This record gives sequence, C-alpha cells and structure tokens, in this order.
Amino acid sequence: MAYFDHSATTPVHKDVLSLMHEVQSKSFGNPSSNHKKGQQARSIIEKARNRVSESVGADPNQILFTSGGTESNNQILFSIIGKSKNHIITSKIEHPAILEALINLKKFGIKYDIIPVNEEGTIIFNEIKKSTKNNTGLISIMLANNEVGTIQPMKKITEYAQSNGILTHTDAVQCLGKIPVKVKELGVDFLSLSAHKFYGPKGVGILFAKDPKLINAYVLGGGQEFNLRGGTENTAAIAGMGLAAKIANKNLIQTKTHLNNLELFFKNELIKNFPQARFNENIKSKLPGLVSVSFPKNKSSILLSKLDRMNIAVSNGSACGSGIVKPSKILSAMGIENDLNLSTLRISFGSSNTNKEIKTLLSALDLILIK
Amino acid sequence: MKDSIIVGLSGGVDSGVAAATLVEQGYQVEGLFMKNWEEDSKYCTSEQDYKDALQICNCLDIPLRSINFSREYWERVFKKFLDEYKLGRTPNPDVLCNTEIKFKAFLNYALELGANKIATGHYAINKSLDGYQNLIKGNDTNKEQSYFLHGLNQKQLSYAIFPLGTWKKENVREKALDLGFLNFNKKDSTGICFIGERHFKKFLKNYIPSKPGIIESCDGYIIGKHDGSMYYTIGQRQGLGIGGVRGTKEMPWYVTDKIVKKNKIIVAQGKDNPQLYHQYLECSDVHWISGYAPKKTKLRAKIRYRGSDSDCKIQLKDSGSIIVGFKNPQFAISPGQSIVFYDKKLCLGGGIINTRWN
Repeated sequence: MAYFDHSATTPVHKDVLSLMHEVQSKSFGNPSSNHKKGQQARSIIEKARNRVSESVGADPNQILFTSGGTESNNQILFSIIGKSKNHIITSKIEHPAILEALINLKKFGIKYDIIPVNEEGTIIFNEIKKSTKNNTGLISIMLANNEVGTIQPMKKITEYAQSNGILTHTDAVQCLGKIPVKVKELGVDFLSLSAHKFYGPKGVGILFAKDPKLINAYVLGGGQEFNLRGGTENTAAIAGMGLAAKIANKNLIQTKTHLNNLELFFKNELIKNFPQARFNENIKSKLPGLVSVSFPKNKSSILLSKLDRMNIAVSNGSACGSGIVKPSKILSAMGIENDLNLSTLRISFGSSNTNKEIKTLLSALDLILIK
Repeated sequence: MKDSIIVGLSGGVDSGVAAATLVEQGYQVEGLFMKNWEEDSKYCTSEQDYKDALQICNCLDIPLRSINFSREYWERVFKKFLDEYKLGRTPNPDVLCNTEIKFKAFLNYALELGANKIATGHYAINKSLDGYQNLIKGNDTNKEQSYFLHGLNQKQLSYAIFPLGTWKKENVREKALDLGFLNFNKKDSTGICFIGERHFKKFLKNYIPSKPGIIESCDGYIIGKHDGSMYYTIGQRQGLGIGGVRGTKEMPWYVTDKIVKKNKIIVAQGKDNPQLYHQYLECSDVHWISGYAPKKTKLRAKIRYRGSDSDCKIQLKDSGSIIVGFKNPQFAISPGQSIVFYDKKLCLGGGIINTRWN
C-alpha cells in the first residue's frame, strides 16, 4: 500500500520498535519500585526525558509525559480552573482536543473567545488583541494546522502575550520532525506533542511546561511525573518516544527537504493534468509534505474509496465513529463552502515516500478524477 | 476475474453472512456501511453498528467503506413518511428506503466505484428467467422479505444479489458463529430502521405537533381521549387507555378508523368485530416488477409485512389505480400501507392502499 496519511499517524521507526521491544520484554519493573528492576525502568524513562528535552530545547524537568496530544491539551486548559485570570483565547482551527475541552470548561466558569482565520488558515492577529480582556490568562494557538498545514505566527503571539502578562500554549502535535520546534525560540509557556506523529508509538505524548508549578494534575494518582500525572508510566512507549524525538530532531533538515521535494513534485505534476485543483494553504508558511487539495466536481468520499481500492491511502477530513465524513470545520473557517469542502483530500507525505509512489498516486488520480 | 460486489453491511448478522457466502464463492467483495440518519445528539449511535460491520470485515478480510445518505434519505423517504402521517395514514418507509436508497443511491455509488453488483442480506430470491428478473419469496417463511422489495424494477434487480434467499435464519446465526462474528446473537432490528430502539411516539412528536382529541366508539359514544391521532394505527389494541366502559361488554377495544379532519379515533370492541374487516380496497402508486401488469386477475395479496397472503381479484382502472376484492374480508386494512401481490411465490409488485370498503 502507498501510504500518504502521515498527518493522521506515522509508522513506527524500526529502531524505535526494536528499542520498545527490548524495554517491554526486559525492563518490566515499575519505575516507582525501589529495587533494581524498578530503577532500571526509572532510568530508561529519565533517559527518554533527556532525549525529548534536547530535541525541543527544554530542561528535562520541564517535560511531562502524558497519554498523547489530547491529554496534554486538556491538562493545560483544565489547569486554568481556579485562577483569577481565567479567560482563554483560541482559534477556530484548533483540534477538538482544545475546542471540545473548552466547551466542558464552561461549567467551571471559564470564558473564552475563538478567533477567526483568513482564507489561508492563518489566524487574524488583530483579533487576539481585540479579544484580550483584563482577565485573559491563556492564549492557545496551534503551531501548525493538521488539515492544511498553515504555520501560525507563534513568536508574534508569544511576544504580545508576554508583554500583556498572558501565558501561551501551542499544540505542536503536527510539527516535530517537520519544522524546528524549539520552545525558547517560540517563546511559549506550554507545548503539546504526540509520539505517533513523529514515528513513535501511539498512546504517549509530551507536555512541555516552562514552569510546571503553573499547571495542575489532570489524571490523579500515585504521584508520578512530579505529581502532575498519575498512573504507572508506560516505560516502553516513553522510551520509544524519546528515541523517536531524537531521530526526528537529528534528521530534521533532511526530512524537511525530502518532504518539500515530494510536495513540489506532486503539485507540479497534478496541476498539469488537473488545472482546476485548488490548494488550501498558506504557501509562505506551511508544513512541508502536507497538501490539502480540493477537486471541484468530485466527491472526496468517492475519491478516497477509489484510491483505497487501488491500495493508496489518503484522508478526507475528519470522520466520526461510523466512518462518515462531514464538512471540515477548518476548511469552513477558511471560507470554503460545503461542496468544495466535501471535494477535498488531504495528502500527507512521510519520510519513506518516494517519487515513484507519487507517480502511482498521480496516475491513479488521473484515472479517477472527473474533469 | 469474478465480479466485484459491494455488500451493504448494517452491522447485523444477515448482511454479514450474506457477505461471507459471496467471499466463499470467490467474488471480490467489499462492505459498505450506510448512514441514513443524522443523529440529533453529538454521539454517533450508529458507532456500535459500524464496529460490528468492521469486525465482520476483519473476519472476512474485506475492506469496509462508509457513506452518508442522510440527505437523500431525508429528501426522498422521510419527508414522504411525515406527509403520510400528517394525512392520518400509516406509511411504510422501509419500502421506500429500498427503492430510493439501497437500490438507487447505494447502487449508483457502487457502480461509480467500479463494482458490477450489489448485495444485501434480504431474505428473498432474485432469479433470472426468460429475460426477466423475478423476485421470489425467501425460503424462510418467517423472515421472508419480498414485501419490502416489491418496489424494485428490472434494472435494479439485475444488479442485485440476495445470498440469503434460500437460507433459514437459524442457519444464518450458526454460520455467523462459525465465522467468528461477534454479533452472531445480535437482536433482529425491529420497527422502522432509523428510529431504532427509540420510543416511536416521542420521536414522532419532534416532527408533527400532536393535537389531543376524542376517542369515539363506532356507534357514536365518546369513550376516551387521545393525545394525537397520528400515534394510532388501525387495528391497534394496546395503549388506547380505555378501561371498562359502563354498559359495554368486557372485550378489548381496537382502532377501526381515524378521522383526521375531526381529529377523532374510532374504536370497536372485539377482534372479530365486523367494523375491523373490509373486503375491498383501492390502491395507487402501483408498481409491477416485470414492468407490466399481470395477465391473471386472480392473485394473492399481502396487506402488511408478516401478514398472510389472501386470495383476491384485481381490477385495473384507467387512472392507474387498482381495485382489489378479497375472497374473505381482511382485518385492519390501513391506508398508507403497501399491498403486495403474489402469484404463488412470485412477487409481482404492489401499490399503496388508499381506501377500503365493504
């Protein structure tokens, strides 16, 4: 199968897989136990913490392990409960792990504003200013969007926030290994990552907190992770994530170039045969290798099924529990009306994709697209 | 290469086993999960059905696709369903769902994907004979579903496969268990598919305002109140809320008629009450599966699913409607329901009942 859905998830890197296998079979001790087996597991976790912190330019004690991007995002938002500055600013194109959590936070008296984006999926900065209130405590804007890849002007946001005494969080789940994710350069207070988006395992993620004292435990339990995340650590997954982060960071330039080349090749060839194709993106500031493309007159559900029949995997927006595709809220926020919205495919390349595979995709599209 | 077939998978046992038999016969099989109803809550209640369908596909090692036909269902089936209810009739949306959704929208989708045929888990037989597609009753007399399929035409049938036509339900369940389907014991779906387990009355209330009125006995006495005539069906016994009425016999009451204009429900006592029986009916929206009216006029007909076939004689009118005269008077003929005609086991077609009389 030709796999072009890396923004949904990535295959686990082979070195990561063998490390996880080794850890799972040999280092089964509970990291909280005070015997050799426990200590062995503990040291594996701390090694992973070091690897992760190096790859994002943080201190190890600013890195918290969670169950993934959703939990990291939830924990940051729920940490605002009880604070005097409890107004949040976020954007229309955030992941449901932010937007759904906010709806739930209403019952705790949390108020929030959701700012719009322009047709390229970039947040309208002035709206942040307009939405800022005396009690605004947090601005949460994703670093790059999962459907269209637009990279947000994070530095500008954090500078503004700092000068107004507001904390900042960014959901950077799509970014590690594709663009630099350095917490100091970004200037953020909090940042979320998820291992399975950078060739690590599923079910494990990262929450960076510049000052961990500013957050509260969200999963309560036995005091693990500096008392900020209860539950026995998933040693093998954490170890795998540590290595995956290290590899992602080490290969960043190389991967970025590779993804850019694939993307360019794909777009140039596609346009030749299908000039009506419309790319939903901010060409000046986007993730490499992620293409959101609308095919007027075509239905994405049909295209996806036809490609799947030809052993080619792409994505068409987010599906609910029964696999049904609805118009993407992100594309809607960018002003794309429903018909075009439902004719949009997301094609996300990964490090193992080749030009040959892209040629297969192109000839398949050529065969099935209604012109 | 053998035909490529797309099987409509509901997550139930029947469609799963139907798919399995086709896989065993060496066809290139794919599953399709249809969603025909948008949930009003944010939770996807069709999620469990989808998971069941997915588990079946895993057992059979075939792909599963999903498609949303809820817009088509709303436009082509549900609107008519509501209109009929508003007229005080008792519609049968499952008949329309087959002609408009499963064997139109789904069929078109399958053909567009490049499949040659579609299959469903219906208990009916589709047999090609002398250049005609014949729809024949399924062998399991209890589950037999030709009633719901009588609206299909030659073209639709030419693309349709019903692998369970010769099966008995109990064998289907056994087969499901053998194949490792986790849903082998899943309850048969009842009632109208999209409403599912929901309370029907509550559901209908969302779409049609209920107007309380009176319940009158067939000899003109007011004997109770109802909370909306659309909630009642002709022949209904339960839930009338009529207790013992002074001066009447100790026999259960049945709905014999609904007078929409006066918002009245008419009832009579005893299942054998002649008010509940009629010998003649007129039906319209007539459809013949072969494309032609039968030469015979002495046929058998079913006026409800699971009803038994009764001898009748039909008379075709120039208007396109049909007058049906039964050999014996029929219990609770309900306007809005489908009447389906048979010649022995051959399903000929049918129409929608408008009026009945003696």
